Amino acid sequence: MTQSTEYARLVEQVCDTLVRAGSTFSEDKIRAYERAIEAERNPRARWVLETILENARVAARDRSPLCDDTGIPHLLLEIGAERSISGAALEAVRQGVREGLQALPGRPMAIMGDDWQRIDQSGGLDPDPAGLDPAPLLICPSPDPHRLRLHILMFGGGPAIRGKTYRVFHRHSQAVVKDEIVKWATEAVEQLGCSPCTLTIGIGRSHYEAASLMLQAQAFGNHDVQSEAEQEITRRVNKSNIGALGLRGDVSVLSTFLRIGPQRASGVRVVCLRPSCCFEPRHAWTEL
Amino acid sequence: MIELHTPISDADIAALRVGDRVEISGYIYTGRDAALPRLVRMIRDESILDTDIDLKGSVIFHTAVSPAGVGPTSSNKAEIEGSFPGLCEGGVKLHLGKGRIGADTIRSLDEHNAVYAVMPPVTALLNARTLERRVAAFPEEGMEALHLLKVERYPCIIAAAHGKSIYDEEA
Repeated sequence: MTQSTEYARLVEQVCDTLVRAGSTFSEDKIRAYERAIEAERNPRARWVLETILENARVAARDRSPLCDDTGIPHLLLEIGAERSISGAALEAVRQGVREGLQALPGRPMAIMGDDWQRIDQSGGLDPDPAGLDPAPLLICPSPDPHRLRLHILMFGGGPAIRGKTYRVFHRHSQAVVKDEIVKWATEAVEQLGCSPCTLTIGIGRSHYEAASLMLQAQAFGNHDVQSEAEQEITRRVNKSNIGALGLRGDVSVLSTFLRIGPQRASGVRVVCLRPSCCFEPRHAWTEL
Repeated sequence: MIELHTPISDADIAALRVGDRVEISGYIYTGRDAALPRLVRMIRDESILDTDIDLKGSVIFHTAVSPAGVGPTSSNKAEIEGSFPGLCEGGVKLHLGKGRIGADTIRSLDEHNAVYAVMPPVTALLNARTLERRVAAFPEEGMEALHLLKVERYPCIIAAAHGKSIYDEEA
């Protein structure tokens, strides 16, 4: 295979992965919704859950966006000890993202101009969906020496508004940290509107590390495999009775995806909580 | 499930109750904070009469219209810049969006025999049920321009009607 053929293959593969991330529910998420519909006792909230699942079927069939806020691409690369990736291959990944945003199609959301023009939006809007730069790439070592796997996650704006990264003084008690997470999550889900949520949480030593762990929680979390702590957080937030679309009901949260990293000898833990909306995590991966 | 076709009559609205599930078909308008206050000014200075915009019995859907499609934005973003009463005066009968709206807005809707409905942001489903779309006014606003859509069976639930709100009811 020539170098240009390899480049074109990578671009196409990444493009397809981005379209799948923006248009497809994972199998475990479909099962989580089916369980939620079964459990929900409020017929209005149950109708919302059924409509979201119908939307997912249509999106997968038509390869069209699940939501009109198609999101900002976030990329995570798992790499095993026997694998490597070149700068040219990373450029192919970036080009694949651009082509994926055009194919989905993504919502044109990139703001043009210099630093401060981008702050107040005075530089105008780029009409090309491909103008949207992905967030910085996160690289994680894989225990599988032969793995080179790219994950693409699409982050919408609503959860970014209601999410929070902040320190928690643990007072040498796991319960203190869990209580704080449940408090934050209940407030966030109430404000979000687009429930039911999947709570995605990272706990680390710095804001950067906690946010990185939250991204890993989205990439590696599974609705069918929930730890005791994840189940506890889900159960406690669901007691709030917020319900789908805030219409009251039993299911405000489908699942919790929690990732705890290394911690420092200190009284503080940094928690990053993203109340991922009814469509998130919008996630797909591909082996490079 | 109640089927509503635009233009919507006063009798249709009078019969609706909070919690009713509705499917909307026909021509509807879209707009958010960029377009709707401008539309209200056109209603009040009567310059709307010089256009082909017909709001009598109409639906306003709080959304942008982008290549990705449509989906409800939060209607309580300063109650979409205070446009509810003015749009009701212009003949809008159903405001479609997302999220809890305030008591003043609910009262204003009741005074004009209009209602508020919400839907989940089901863009793929809405795209499959959108038959036509064109810019109706303010093209310089891009995806935030006032658009006219022809839709069939847009699913929603009545969230505020006759002074009551679904968000104040117990499940």
